[in-house]
Amino acid sequence: MLSLHLLSSTSSSSSLPTIVSLNCCCCEPSNHLPFPNTNLGFLKVKRQPKVSNLKAGFWESIRSGFGKNNTIQVIETPSSEEEEEEPLPEEFVLVEKTQPDGTIEQIIFSSGGDVDVYDLQALCDKVGWPRRPLSKLAAALKNSYIVATLHSRKFSSGEEGNAEKKLIGMARATSDHAFNATIWDVLVDPSHQGQGLGKVLIEKLIRTLLQRDIGNISLFADSKVVEFYRNLGFEPDPEGIKGMFWYPMY
Amino acid sequence: ISDTSLQSKGFNLHRSITNLNLHHLNSIFVSVGFPQRDISKIQIALENTDSLIWIEHHKTKGSPVAFARATGDGVFNAIIWDVVVDPNFQGIGLGKAVMERLVTDLLNKGITNIALYSEPRVLGFYRPLGFVMDPDGIRGMVYSRKKKKK
Repeated sequence: MLSLHLLSSTSSSSSLPTIVSLNCCCCEPSNHLPFPNTNLGFLKVKRQPKVSNLKAGFWESIRSGFGKNNTIQVIETPSSEEEEEEPLPEEFVLVEKTQPDGTIEQIIFSSGGDVDVYDLQALCDKVGWPRRPLSKLAAALKNSYIVATLHSRKFSSGEEGNAEKKLIGMARATSDHAFNATIWDVLVDPSHQGQGLGKVLIEKLIRTLLQRDIGNISLFADSKVVEFYRNLGFEPDPEGIKGMFWYPMY
Repeated sequence: ISDTSLQSKGFNLHRSITNLNLHHLNSIFVSVGFPQRDISKIQIALENTDSLIWIEHHKTKGSPVAFARATGDGVFNAIIWDVVVDPNFQGIGLGKAVMERLVTDLLNKGITNIALYSEPRVLGFYRPLGFVMDPDGIRGMVYSRKKKKK
């Protein structure tokens, strides 16, 4: 089990791509958000994508399902060439697990950017990030090239229509749509940490960017998460190129 | 260098891509060592750029002699790319002129997190402009397909 000790930055700079600590211990069943799900987000992206399941085969192998203590999961990602060249659907089920009581939880990845800003703010609160104005959050999302999200859908067997959907992870990238993209604001709900979801989130985001022919994907990483990103294929200071910030407040 | 001073030396400053000759921009990129890039892609990149500044000399209308641009989310973060000065016009403060104005424009938009990636040999150019390398241990990282650990 990959042990990731990633601590959130306490620097005042608001949008460094930090990931908050992923614990190795068993995850508790997800907490209900203390905030009402108002769905009033300023930002409502037009589309209503259908959730499509990926083809059988690879994904079957990572569906856990019937274990008694089905809390921790290591999610493997495709390593074969063909899998990587297939265009990624905008939205798909990453993991599906059945709890002992029969409820099914699906983790859904989406690159469509359909994020309720209230949900996002609540998630940022949960991981301990300083508050940012909702209007600015909405604008930042709107001006991002790709906003990748993880949602958790819970429903009783046979009642998929009554699913409870919750935002549990996000990562976004800004870009000039041609050459460069930079990843910001990577976060996973503490209740869903320790399962490799952060890793998958970034991998899928990268794959989406590569499929759009963006050749240069960069980010700025806290010292504690440099290893995490290295394992995903990022190299610090390539050829001695250094990240610099204008009068950072820290 | 003030705007007036620039003008008195025959330089004009622009903040939009109108009248910017992309072919000449591309050749300046190449002259300072950037890879040759597709003009149509450069067009797209500039259309999706938050802020940019370029300077031309009145004798070379439309051909930039200095250039810099920034992308970002328009509220929190910006990254500065493609900072170039035509080798024939280096050493007179044009790079500093575009950078100072670009940073000011970003600050005026309320963006305070301004970053860039600097080649090792120009760290000394950015430092006096207020840029700090690896603040608080933060590292710039770039994705490399070859480097991915299996």
